[in-house]
Amino acid sequence: MSEPLVLELQVKPLDFLAAGETATHFKETLKSLGLPPDICRKAAIVVYEAEMNIVIHGGGGVMCLQVEEDKVTIIAKDKGPGIEDLELAMKEGYSSAPDFIRELGFGAGMGLPNIKKNSDELYIDTAPGKGTKLRAVIYLDKRR
Amino acid sequence: MAHGVKIAESSCRGCVNCIKSCPTEAMRVIEGKIRILSEICISCGECLRRCPHRALLPEDDDWDYILSKRPMAVVTDPCFCAQFSWPPIPSLTAHALFELGLEPIFEEYEAAYDVAAVAAARAIKNSPETAKPLISTYCPAVVRLIQIKFHELIPHLAPVENPLETSIDLWRARTKKREPVTLVSPCPARIAMVRSPVGRDVSSAEYVISTSKLAREVLIGSGDPSKKVTIDSSTETPRWIAWAKTGGESMHVRAFSNQPVRTLEVDGLRNVISLFQEMELGKLRGIDYVEARACDLGCIGGIGNAESRFLSRIKIDNVKMSFNITEQYKKELEALYHAKVWMLRDEIVPIEQMPLGEDLVKAMEKLKQLHAVYAELPHLDCGTCGRPSCRVMAEDIVRGEGSLDDCIFRLKSRIADLSREIYELSKRLVHTMTPEGK
Repeated sequence: MSEPLVLELQVKPLDFLAAGETATHFKETLKSLGLPPDICRKAAIVVYEAEMNIVIHGGGGVMCLQVEEDKVTIIAKDKGPGIEDLELAMKEGYSSAPDFIRELGFGAGMGLPNIKKNSDELYIDTAPGKGTKLRAVIYLDKRR
Repeated sequence: MAHGVKIAESSCRGCVNCIKSCPTEAMRVIEGKIRILSEICISCGECLRRCPHRALLPEDDDWDYILSKRPMAVVTDPCFCAQFSWPPIPSLTAHALFELGLEPIFEEYEAAYDVAAVAAARAIKNSPETAKPLISTYCPAVVRLIQIKFHELIPHLAPVENPLETSIDLWRARTKKREPVTLVSPCPARIAMVRSPVGRDVSSAEYVISTSKLAREVLIGSGDPSKKVTIDSSTETPRWIAWAKTGGESMHVRAFSNQPVRTLEVDGLRNVISLFQEMELGKLRGIDYVEARACDLGCIGGIGNAESRFLSRIKIDNVKMSFNITEQYKKELEALYHAKVWMLRDEIVPIEQMPLGEDLVKAMEKLKQLHAVYAELPHLDCGTCGRPSCRVMAEDIVRGEGSLDDCIFRLKSRIADLSREIYELSKRLVHTMTPEGK
């Protein structure tokens, strides 16, 4: 087993102009490794949604991409307010985004459900006031 | 893989204006001359716009040779009719072409464009929500961009043949004529469409020439046809003229659909690329059809045109078009639809780019090397190494196609290091010398 490939990028709070850049960058990286398109697509969606969560709620944070021989792992860390009711946040359509963000067309309440849908494993470590750490895993070979 | 761009070596100064404009990073300067990596060139024509020395040209056929061939049929892109001072009415343009001894085949366009619109409308209707939006295949540069950079979007491409090709097929079937056909192209992408078509083996056209060359010939060789052909205010322009500008195709598809179709029109490569990136992230839900054109304002913005794209647009906006059709014609159209004259014969397949390594472990190793090399570079993307960016330079190096010394900044600092070392050496004393330097 060789060392995993690790990429890390900072995400700034409320920077809607740059939002999506991490997703594009990570996706290009995965494509250049020759990974199959559906893996790249799933990973890009996970990264994009997680990145948006950091932009909207997290007050900035770090996005990390890890590639290993059998899986791609996406880690999103922020020092934001944390998620009060995780079960509620996982529901489609539930959003705690403020009005001005919804007016920008974001905050539809699809972020976490979308991440869950596009990853094989999802771990969220969060508590009010403690920030949020999200880890999503996509396996390269589904039969495992 | 043929592309639609020709390099005039003697005019190329080796400046790096063009390489920065290439959306697929397919250009390099090697030994002072431009090179195009044809396997990833999409023939969009951006480099032609950027070249200040006119060293990049459309790769069309020799005009004198085409003129020497008779008889010769011509199939012009709809935007050709908008190149002149007279209104964009095909009967006028046809008159001017007849005067040059060429045989325009405009009469087949109506059926070809109508059936393409019907086919797109039906394809939308028959597609599940997950397969939407469908993407128009009318712009060959857009199709190739998807084949190279947006593999996930390939299933979204509408399997509709270019109506210009269909027109030639219909014309040959109806007239049984065997004379060669020249396609008149507003851009390198339509030239590439003839040279190496996508979705079919060979193009139905034998030759291809730029719009500007034929337009110039018309302007020199024949007078203003509007003085000879009478048109009155009730003269209608055919619907297909609208395809020359962005939005024309969508309008046509909506008009020929029996259900509401939500279309989205986008032009200019920069916009097309951001739209496709958004689409890959699944952000275009609710849209049925995407009309994407590589050139600003659509085909009238092609680099091979003679007329200003702004004036062309006004001309097209000012003509009268009707979408009413007779019951009889409706039946004919239905027959053409079922005869599948509009259908792409072959599947559109992705053009795979070489991954960094043959398997994931090797590719990851290379990518780590690439990051290490990239960290050594100045990140100015100056282009002096002949590559569009430091990132591409790093990639070329790990693929074994370049060295760090190609970077002028790296070279400069190595010369500085070396000269420091030489200076240190020069101060070293040999036994016969004294510190005073005798």
